[in-house]
Amino acid sequence: MEFWKKLQAIDRRWVYLVIWLVVMIPLIFPFKIKPVASPPVQSLFTYIDTLPENKGVIISVDYTPDSQAELQPMLVALLRHAFVIHRPVGVLAMALQGLGIGEDALRQVTAEINSHARTSADSVLNGRDYVYWGWTTPPITVMLGMGQRITKVFPVDYYGQKTESLPVMKRMKNYDDAGILVSVAASSFPLYWINLAQTQFGIHLGAGITAVSAADFYPYVNSGQFSGMLAGMKGAAEYEELLEQSMVKRGMDWKLRRKGTEAMSSQAAAHLAIIAFIIIGNIAFFATRRRKS
Amino acid sequence: MQKRLPLILVLVTGIFGAVAFFIPHHTVQSVDETFRNDVQRIIAAFSLVLGLGSILQHHLTKIQRKAENWQYSWITVITLFVSGIIGLFGGIDPTRPGILPTHIGGFSFHIQTLYMNMMVPLAATMFSMLAFFMASAAYRAFRARNFSATLLLAAAFVLMLGAVPLGRMIFHPLPSFAEWILAVPNTAAKRGINFGVQLGILATSLKILLGIERGWLGGG
Repeated sequence: MEFWKKLQAIDRRWVYLVIWLVVMIPLIFPFKIKPVASPPVQSLFTYIDTLPENKGVIISVDYTPDSQAELQPMLVALLRHAFVIHRPVGVLAMALQGLGIGEDALRQVTAEINSHARTSADSVLNGRDYVYWGWTTPPITVMLGMGQRITKVFPVDYYGQKTESLPVMKRMKNYDDAGILVSVAASSFPLYWINLAQTQFGIHLGAGITAVSAADFYPYVNSGQFSGMLAGMKGAAEYEELLEQSMVKRGMDWKLRRKGTEAMSSQAAAHLAIIAFIIIGNIAFFATRRRKS
Repeated sequence: MQKRLPLILVLVTGIFGAVAFFIPHHTVQSVDETFRNDVQRIIAAFSLVLGLGSILQHHLTKIQRKAENWQYSWITVITLFVSGIIGLFGGIDPTRPGILPTHIGGFSFHIQTLYMNMMVPLAATMFSMLAFFMASAAYRAFRARNFSATLLLAAAFVLMLGAVPLGRMIFHPLPSFAEWILAVPNTAAKRGINFGVQLGILATSLKILLGIERGWLGGG
């Protein structure tokens, strides 16, 4: 009786210590994981992979650094994919604090691609192949205005260049030129994109969201309003797997770092630890209740 | 007039904003575009001034009165000005310098450097604490006390196991079953909730537009 009672009232610091260990150890010594793509991830990947050549990809960085661990691997994988298939890319941030994250991801991915490029055509250049529009407010102005003329919403890009003068903008005038807009978000921004951009202009949308909010977005995947969805670290890891397979097929066996897949071992261990805690907690709960009755 | 003017403004602009979605006439669209692109941005700029003013007023008053934890207010005010000045005049990073010298030898303090080395770790640290609290809460509160709680527990088990490779090893169709829970029962429930929420939003919006709900005017 005493044992079960004590177990139920265990000092929370022990729980914290176990969680710290199960998160840290697999980060230092990761075990091999082979993600299998779930249907929403597969459909987003296939949709982007088969975009017509004249269609661009818009990615909206709708999250802040607090959820970066989960969402940054998605942003990186999406950027890599868009550049690998040679589509014009436009990146914007709806979350002000997401500006630096977008810049960081663009810098990382363009450096990766350019380090493997053999010709000028293989490389990705700011203004020619991609544009970082940055941030402006309010969101309704951006989401509706981009459907008419993007240069009117963003007269200058994040680096202060006039967007009218950028060659890539000739291929990205408004939503008609974009094959898909993917909102990577830790909030309800993807729903605003549906309400304002998709309902008005019919643009195809994708979403990259945190695992905790996945349940909120499934109705929109089922209805077809999202062409696909990446949910949490698992979604990022599955997308990385699909992208790597596709890149190998294209002869680009670059062995790029896959942060989503790397972190999956840590996340898997944490999930198992929480499951174990719940089982132990319930055993102790029932044992105490039986003794009482 | 103090109350009537804002109410008239809300009624007119609110109804126009909704109506413009349904009238493709170029005059209506042009006015709507001006409202969205110019008027809303001007209002947003004012809100920035208002936000800056209120944060400064709050912290300077705290410092002046030496209220509890007033020392931290200094950190807020100094950080606000330093990051504002560097962001405006210091350039983005060493490859895109601004008019302010923002490096001492090899040490750079451009806005991207500050962001990546201060903002990102601080925000990530705060958020990562959730994992510890969640584990502790799951251990203490997640009990199969009754049928509903047991159902919730079972669903959580399937979803958590479905998200890890071990789930597939234990029972191969488990990830597909987890996906089914999200795509079918969860979607059905969410749709019902969403309909209710949206009807509530519509009703509240109409009450604000028609001046029935006046809480936003202040004074309770």
